[in-house]
Amino acid sequence: MSKASKLKSATLLAAVLLVVSACGNNTDSGSNQVSDNSPAPAASTDNSAGNEKKIKMRVITITTDENRNKIMDEYIKPNIEKALPNLEVEFEPGGGGEDMANKLKTLNASDDMPDVFWNDAGYFTPLKSTGSIMDLTSAITADGYIDKYAVPDALKHVDGKIYSLSSGADTYFTPVIFYHKDMFEQAGVKVPTTFDEFMQVSKTLKSKDMVPAVTPGKDGWGPKLFMLQQMIQIGDPQAMADLVSNKTDFSNPSVKEGVARIEKMAKEGVFPEGISNLDYGPAMEMFTSKRAAMLMMFTWELPNLAKDDTVDFFPFPSASDKYDPAKVVQFWGSPLNGYAVSAKTEHPDEAVKLAEFLAMADALYFESTGAPISLKTGNAASEKSPLMQKFIDWYNPIPTKIASFALNSLDARTSAELSSQGANLLTGEYAADSFVTAMDKIWSENTWFDN
Amino acid sequence: MKYISRIFWIALGCTFLFPLYWMISIALKSKSEAYENPFGIPSSWKWQNFSEALSKYNYFTYLENSLIYTLGTIAITLASGSMLAYCLSRMQWRFNSSALFYVSLGLIVPIEVVVIPLFQLIKLLHLKDSYWALILPYSGFAIASCVLMLYAFLRSLPKELEEAACIDGTNVYQAFFKIIFPIIMPALVTQCVLIFIRIWNEFPLAFIIASKDQFRPLTVGLLSFFVNVGVSDWGLIGATMFLSSLPMIIVYMIGNEKIENALTAGAILK
Amino acid sequence: MNKYFSTKMSIFVFATPALLLFTVFCVYPLVPEIWMSLQKHNGFQSLGFVGLDNYKAIFASSSFWTAHKNTYLIVGISLLLGIPLSMTLALFMEIQTPRLRRFFKSAAMFPAILSVTVVAQIWLAFYEPNWGLFNSILRAIGMDSWTHSWLTEKNTVMLSIGLTFLWQYIGLNAMLFYTGIKTIPKSYYEAALIDGANFAQVCMRITIPLLQNIIKYVLILSTLGSMAFYSHVRVMTAGGPGDKSRTVIYQMYYTAFDTSEFGKGTAIAVVFILECLLISFLIQRFVARDKLEF
Repeated sequence: MSKASKLKSATLLAAVLLVVSACGNNTDSGSNQVSDNSPAPAASTDNSAGNEKKIKMRVITITTDENRNKIMDEYIKPNIEKALPNLEVEFEPGGGGEDMANKLKTLNASDDMPDVFWNDAGYFTPLKSTGSIMDLTSAITADGYIDKYAVPDALKHVDGKIYSLSSGADTYFTPVIFYHKDMFEQAGVKVPTTFDEFMQVSKTLKSKDMVPAVTPGKDGWGPKLFMLQQMIQIGDPQAMADLVSNKTDFSNPSVKEGVARIEKMAKEGVFPEGISNLDYGPAMEMFTSKRAAMLMMFTWELPNLAKDDTVDFFPFPSASDKYDPAKVVQFWGSPLNGYAVSAKTEHPDEAVKLAEFLAMADALYFESTGAPISLKTGNAASEKSPLMQKFIDWYNPIPTKIASFALNSLDARTSAELSSQGANLLTGEYAADSFVTAMDKIWSENTWFDN
Repeated sequence: MKYISRIFWIALGCTFLFPLYWMISIALKSKSEAYENPFGIPSSWKWQNFSEALSKYNYFTYLENSLIYTLGTIAITLASGSMLAYCLSRMQWRFNSSALFYVSLGLIVPIEVVVIPLFQLIKLLHLKDSYWALILPYSGFAIASCVLMLYAFLRSLPKELEEAACIDGTNVYQAFFKIIFPIIMPALVTQCVLIFIRIWNEFPLAFIIASKDQFRPLTVGLLSFFVNVGVSDWGLIGATMFLSSLPMIIVYMIGNEKIENALTAGAILK
Repeated sequence: MNKYFSTKMSIFVFATPALLLFTVFCVYPLVPEIWMSLQKHNGFQSLGFVGLDNYKAIFASSSFWTAHKNTYLIVGISLLLGIPLSMTLALFMEIQTPRLRRFFKSAAMFPAILSVTVVAQIWLAFYEPNWGLFNSILRAIGMDSWTHSWLTEKNTVMLSIGLTFLWQYIGLNAMLFYTGIKTIPKSYYEAALIDGANFAQVCMRITIPLLQNIIKYVLILSTLGSMAFYSHVRVMTAGGPGDKSRTVIYQMYYTAFDTSEFGKGTAIAVVFILECLLISFLIQRFVARDKLEF
């Protein structure tokens, strides 16, 4: 320990003492907002030094699924220098799911939001309530970016403002069951059309030493994002639509039946052991390496899975005559999902441009996979894989599209509790009744619909 | 009987070393082999895992951060802690015993429970984007055990030590640096090792506070890497785990005996 | 001489830096913590003063009690299993050949120097139900019915995580005990041997009583260390399935960050600090006795 560094630390401590005593009165963090908003002098030296220096931008985006990583490596990183030469962009991996949500909530709580970030309905409310997310309407109208959207109104949140820019590929994402045709053949089973057939198929596959179906279960990912909704919907689509719009609750018998179907699947060995602690990556790996015959997953993985000729998909099979997979479907999109700009960024204009660039990178990527998008890229449509064609032919004509429960009905607490309750159900040791009782209480305290 | 007990001890020792073997062996396996043959010896050695890990994982940034946090904490804690311990054990201050009691409370409060206010304090002090954001809280929490141990050590030293200096007309600062500092060196080394192990592997606070990639230490960088690669490529995970543990393993291999002595000296002096 | 050195100035210079650091970063945070626990707070701003409502709410939540059960299970494992086991290892270490002892000593401390992230990740692979080490061994020796999905069954998850924790620190504790044993003067043993005492009697009558100080040190270290148990859970199960493997600290993080209820989260923290204070007091009061002088 040198004397110099000791001197430094002593000086620093003195400074700490001063600041603490000065701020000693307002222990409530809310009152710190004002002092924190004034930009630190060190940060502003970048732009005051003239235009020579690049503006620093910080971006946090999802990094868990393969699409996102490809967009980053093939569309964002190679082109960003040319498209936005005045910016120096630092990309921070955000992970996904609860990790991403917690990260943004934490950064928001500490007033340390990145300039541009991937917004999601799951953490939108806390961001909005603290005024951390910018309404992009005027900015994208002024520069004409809004005209690139096929349906600009689809960008609007219920309050009429635009918070996020996306490629529009989201609205074409829906959960389906992918399966390996050769594994089905080997086990001598056919694609099931009813829930009972599905259970029978699973039983046969299991007896042939195959894992029937897999889906990410850690943190209740699968149950929260689609399984609960699908299992209710295949019995009674109306009940599901009502639940999404808060017209019914968990005591609805159709909802209970849906929950019981998840319990049944977990109990009867549809999933591999340890499913409730299975992450996204290993779940995908289990299916692609053919250790599992089926994968319950959203169609955003379709372009990647279509590379394997043996992969096909089918919609969730019906559990009553109220449901027909050609008449009703769950869609993922929410106008909230996409690249958003922090309302507290020091360079709003540049940040909006960056968000526009990122949304376009998404669009270019999804277009290259043959997926339908609503943001016009100006390129001619590319060749679609047969599987993608099959998907579009099935999905587009469906008249009733129910929004996703996970994105459009849950506040932060309800969302977190549904995750834990969903993981419980997947263990097969948790009764559907306990789930319903617990969720009923949590649902009654849900604040999503309050405003 | 003797033979059996020997085998038992060797086997037990091996269970403690098994992770080292496993980490290295899985790091050399391909993605598919890691699933098919997770615990055996790799059939073909896939060294690319290491180069791939180094290219995808900001190893050197995290390593540098971990070193800065650890060494910074050690420097600040030892400097301020030894001074306070000296003051409490050698100087006539009427608050000596109450100060000692006050500091000892620090042993009880786990750092994890004050993460939320600490987080806001860091923000309030505008330390968020600097290494101080972790070094200062770490030091604050390490001071308790450092002071208590050095206090016990200093109490066991004869008072005559400084008396000679006193007669020479040396002032208190010179006496502290020239006479006391060298004598308490062994205790300082012990503390050094204890703080090193603790801070190098600290996770909860770093997880919340060092959220920016450029400030992450190895522990947090490693977890976010697992999250980002989706925890499916065990070869890659093994390689990053091994690289992350390597500095500690090297330190341990070189200073095995010293670390052992340090840890136990800590225990006895308490 | 003390007068000469103890000027007001020198006391100030020597005492201030450490006391200041300690106060600002270790003690001061408790103030806003208590204040926050009395409010409805979303982490960013207070949504109103609610008095003790947060405390009532956390006491009424079943997850809070699950978290306590799990935390005290870990404390129990490390005190009732960890300490006796590491003590036994230390006692038997003394009667091994020097070479074996040296090997064992270096091996035993190894897990303790590894980062929790690494240890937890390794054990994830051991517990993996389909290809993991434990189930593979059980299947290989024909005990298929004993296989478990260790980390997702509510009866095994906490014990499994506890075993990882036990494994990581048992060697370190054994080393601490062993060095204590080395400091006991040989003459004590010689006297006992003349009396014709056997190994077990020597251990019970001489070694263990003389190790009081170290036992107390390890006891405090293990208790407080396992009270704050969190990182292993975070990496291995993220508290799951559901809330089955959450510890108190995990529940605190979950409440504050996942559900955005910082008021309740800090209320959990305040209750927990009180528990830690109480437990340290009990240890000081009942376990610590007069210091032995050799």
